Amino acid sequence: MKVSPDVVRYEFIGTEAKIARSSQSSYVGVCGKVVDETKNTFTLLDKEKRRVIIKDSAVFHFKFPDGTIVEIDGGLLVGRPEDRLKKTIRRLW
Amino acid sequence: MKTRNRKADAKTKNIAMRRIHTLLNLAKETKNTDPTQAQRYAAIARKVAMAAKIRLPKEHRLLICKHCKNLILPGQNCRVRIRQRREPHVTITCLNCGKQTRIPLKKKGS
Repeated sequence: MKVSPDVVRYEFIGTEAKIARSSQSSYVGVCGKVVDETKNTFTLLDKEKRRVIIKDSAVFHFKFPDGTIVEIDGGLLVGRPEDRLKKTIRRLW
Repeated sequence: MKTRNRKADAKTKNIAMRRIHTLLNLAKETKNTDPTQAQRYAAIARKVAMAAKIRLPKEHRLLICKHCKNLILPGQNCRVRIRQRREPHVTITCLNCGKQTRIPLKKKGS
């Protein structure tokens, strides 16, 4: 998969996520499948337990179905799933 | 006059289509284990389609009840029957709201 700034418009429900860095120390290391998404949170299924993660407070590693791993700052993903579809960001790298 | 950026529009629709496919396939998988979660996936898929102004793809369109917008699967919470009276048509009864959707079997103009 070619990585472009468009990744913020993709679907994250169903991907594997891992939290790399976070201002909230208890979040670090949480990993699992993304089962739900709201405007400000992701819900991860970590060992049969649902963990609600505030998007803005963490940096995520998402593993897409084709195996690519993308590191994204959660602050860029704030917005309801259907509103994120039209979100554009300036190239950051 | 405001000109619409056609290229950007097509890109949005492309992304939306892929998202709808992943969401509804996920909804079908989780329907047995977690029906409320599956219903949420279907609702998000519908909202994504509306935001991008595209129709749901044909194989998925019939999985969402036209009246109550719930996810319906044949054999689980909907009933599919072929009716011969009047015009031949397929009737899908949603067992959530009890309403029917009819799909004509004759092609237009034949």
